[in-house]
Amino acid sequence: MIVTRTQKAGFSLYAGLVLLVFYFPLLCIIVASLSKRRFFSFPYPMADMTTKWYADALQSPQVADFIGVSLRIAALTAFFSVVIGFFSALAYARYRWRGRQTFQRLVLFPLFFPQSVLGLALLMWFSFLHITPAWWTAVIAHTVWITPITTLIISIQAYGQDDSLEEAARDMGATRLQILLRITVPLLLPGMITATCFAVLLSWGNFALSLFTTGADSSLPEWLYARMTTGYQPLVPAVGVISVVGAVILVVVLFTVVAWNQRRARRLTAATE
Amino acid sequence: MSATPSVPAPKPPREFSPAFFGTVCSLPFFLLMLFGFVAPLLCVVWFGFMPAKTFALLQMPTFANYETIFNQTYFKSILWSIGLATVTVLTLLVICYPLAFGMAKIFRGGASFITYAIATSLFVSENIRLFGWVIGFMKNGVVGGTLAKVFDVQIDSLLYNIPVIILGMVYVYLPFMLFPLVLGLKMVPDQVREAAFDLGASRWQVFKKIDLPLSMPGVLIGSLLVFVLSVGAISEAKILGGQKVVTIASDIESEFTYAQNWPLGSALSTLFIALTTVVVFFALGRFDLEKLLGKKRSE
Amino acid sequence: MVESAAPILEVVSITNRFAKFTAVNDVSFAVREGEFFTLVGPSGSGKTTLLRMLVGMEKPTTGELRLRGKVINDLPPNLRPTCMVFQSLALFPHMTVGKNVEFPLSIRGQSSGECRTRAWELLKLLHLDPHRYYDKNVSQCSGGERQRVALARALAYDPEILFFDEPLSAIDARLRKVLQKELKDLQRSTGKTFCYVTHSLEEAMVMSDRVAILRAGVIEQIGTPDEIYGAPRNAFVAEFMGEVNLLPITGLGGTAATWDTGRKVIPLTLPAPLAAGTARKLLIRPESLRFLRAGESAGNSVPVRILNEFSLGSRIQYHVEVASDCTLTVQRLREERTAATEAVLGWELADSQILET
Repeated sequence: MIVTRTQKAGFSLYAGLVLLVFYFPLLCIIVASLSKRRFFSFPYPMADMTTKWYADALQSPQVADFIGVSLRIAALTAFFSVVIGFFSALAYARYRWRGRQTFQRLVLFPLFFPQSVLGLALLMWFSFLHITPAWWTAVIAHTVWITPITTLIISIQAYGQDDSLEEAARDMGATRLQILLRITVPLLLPGMITATCFAVLLSWGNFALSLFTTGADSSLPEWLYARMTTGYQPLVPAVGVISVVGAVILVVVLFTVVAWNQRRARRLTAATE
Repeated sequence: MSATPSVPAPKPPREFSPAFFGTVCSLPFFLLMLFGFVAPLLCVVWFGFMPAKTFALLQMPTFANYETIFNQTYFKSILWSIGLATVTVLTLLVICYPLAFGMAKIFRGGASFITYAIATSLFVSENIRLFGWVIGFMKNGVVGGTLAKVFDVQIDSLLYNIPVIILGMVYVYLPFMLFPLVLGLKMVPDQVREAAFDLGASRWQVFKKIDLPLSMPGVLIGSLLVFVLSVGAISEAKILGGQKVVTIASDIESEFTYAQNWPLGSALSTLFIALTTVVVFFALGRFDLEKLLGKKRSE
Repeated sequence: MVESAAPILEVVSITNRFAKFTAVNDVSFAVREGEFFTLVGPSGSGKTTLLRMLVGMEKPTTGELRLRGKVINDLPPNLRPTCMVFQSLALFPHMTVGKNVEFPLSIRGQSSGECRTRAWELLKLLHLDPHRYYDKNVSQCSGGERQRVALARALAYDPEILFFDEPLSAIDARLRKVLQKELKDLQRSTGKTFCYVTHSLEEAMVMSDRVAILRAGVIEQIGTPDEIYGAPRNAFVAEFMGEVNLLPITGLGGTAATWDTGRKVIPLTLPAPLAAGTARKLLIRPESLRFLRAGESAGNSVPVRILNEFSLGSRIQYHVEVASDCTLTVQRLREERTAATEAVLGWELADSQILET
């Protein structure tokens, strides 16, 4: 289809506008984090610009604590959700079995479920089981919500994989376990890496689940929320920006992994042709 | 959703069949969901039938909480939630369709840039992003301050009203509409569009008769996702809306926290769960996600 | 044939360039009213790009397209009175067979009654029983049926020229032969101008009134199937036609020449004089080669060793070795089968042809 220059320019302009509006709040946060004043007002004189809050944020042991909690939750969540997600991806995309279709639908359900309600439900469940919520109960909550996502990501990779590879290995006398370790895991590895990045990032930014399930511990988004509603100081946007930068770095890593994976796939197909 | 599919009895392990393997592979997931999803939700449903203001689970079931809900103003917050979610879905459809069309059919390298630019936001806590709007829209904030400086127009805070809540929801849930739409539009074969064009259809006719019906799966998935997510939204109304509007999610939260009335909160949650379940099952039953994923592979 | 017919579509030195790559390079030809014209070339020869320019999906970088004398370069495809049958057929998957065929009519705002009547006529014309197919979903149709639906839909548009982008390539060989004949019949009975694109010269030869052979964005030869078969202009066209023997030769002056097989230089007599020192290719079709009986003579003869024989039904094909790493293909009738391993191969001068390389 011929796309005229004006049409293309129109669509590009529109996309630019959407992106601009989309990034406006983040710009605002950056602006606020650089202001010296306790009460934000815009525009502020250049003399009031400072990076003091970043230094404060990086040195504050309190902030370090929250980051520590968030990181611990993210790391464990990523581990569990990728391991479980790997097996459920096999069930989702690889093997034909009764109940597979139902399984494929059910996998999505937690995703479509409002997180605040899930968090509350878990809170009640833990209290029923006489478990005192702490950071590790948040791991359970995050894993429940994130595993469907890792499952889907790894499934996409599993769909792209040639069925006959496993059959060939089996034909040459490999046991199911050997096939799993030597064929399936290496082939699905890129999908698992991508899934790990996603799991870390989603857990890192999650607020609704953490709010109800961390108990006395507090993750970074929870702390930010508390300080936004009461007791604002420019430290809050500064920590926000740091958390965003952390996420962006991970996205860049993710992007590199995906690009590397595509290059490798292209090389592989080139080799087989 | 509480119905786990019947797990078929494993065949004799002499020959591990794919059926057996598939069942085994799905087991960790089922166990996780049983413990972390199904049981808590059953717990909520059961707690909804307990007498008010109790924290014990083993009492005579009662419908008292549901009577309270329908006799008081709680249904108002349910209606508010549904209304806000509907407006969000419609607004996002209008905003995202042209962008998704550009990404699927017009931009080449630009499309993946936009994808990454938008997807990155998913990993930033929505509180931070909403707080950015607060800084932008508050009195003497970025927007107000700029207007005062450049145009000498004094405006009050733009926060704490309904349009700004909708803006917040539209903003937060934009990726969930955009990406399904892009996927849906990518499924419209270029040659089919060209053929319609070649057979005399104008651009508008191609859109109406080809693009829209063929990208319907994407439209449905996107709308569904956004609806369900925004119906459960809590932060937008709280951070941007002040206490202007009480949504069902914040009603539920306050029953659990300030009011300390867990059974009433549970009953509200149950209603809410029922609502989302109906919507999700109605929509998910209508198309095959495997087909969507399978199609993606062949690209 | 339609030799005298006026040109309906004139292509005047058309070029298409993406960035540095030139897909179509300064191509000119004319399609005559009512003829079956075929563009044929291997993949990457620019035939699809050329076709897309003819229907208006791409714009030529330079050059002119004239339909009945009017320049149509800037006319978008929906305003051109031409229509294309796509390689993928591009049937609308969300519509029934009937609605697909009616699409161009309903776009024009014809009443649903008119649309339906015309769709029934067209389905009948294409041997699809309207009672069975009108309400059938296109995804339930077989390959051949889908082909006919696409054709009916294109005919419903009532185009002045009907373009085809290799629509038969995904169909199995037997059905393809049937559809080729039907397409030719349809073209005769409707009297419409067909412009067909394919990578198979065989397909082009079966159906076309005239054929243009493309290579790397340039037309190598244009003519009737007979002209192209009888006198291929160069080695590319000759090889494209199928299995032929092309011998690298060097003229010695007059009709004398040498054939360099790599190991051995063999003297040959040519059908026409060639200047000394000029390198050319000599074309000999496999069926022009024969094994000489003892005492028999021919225009040229070389001793060979028979390596292999393959049965082609009524014919037998032999691979024979002239010198190591130099083989020729011979095709003989089954009655002339030979069991020998050593033989003398001969051909008449008139059966060979000197080609530009």
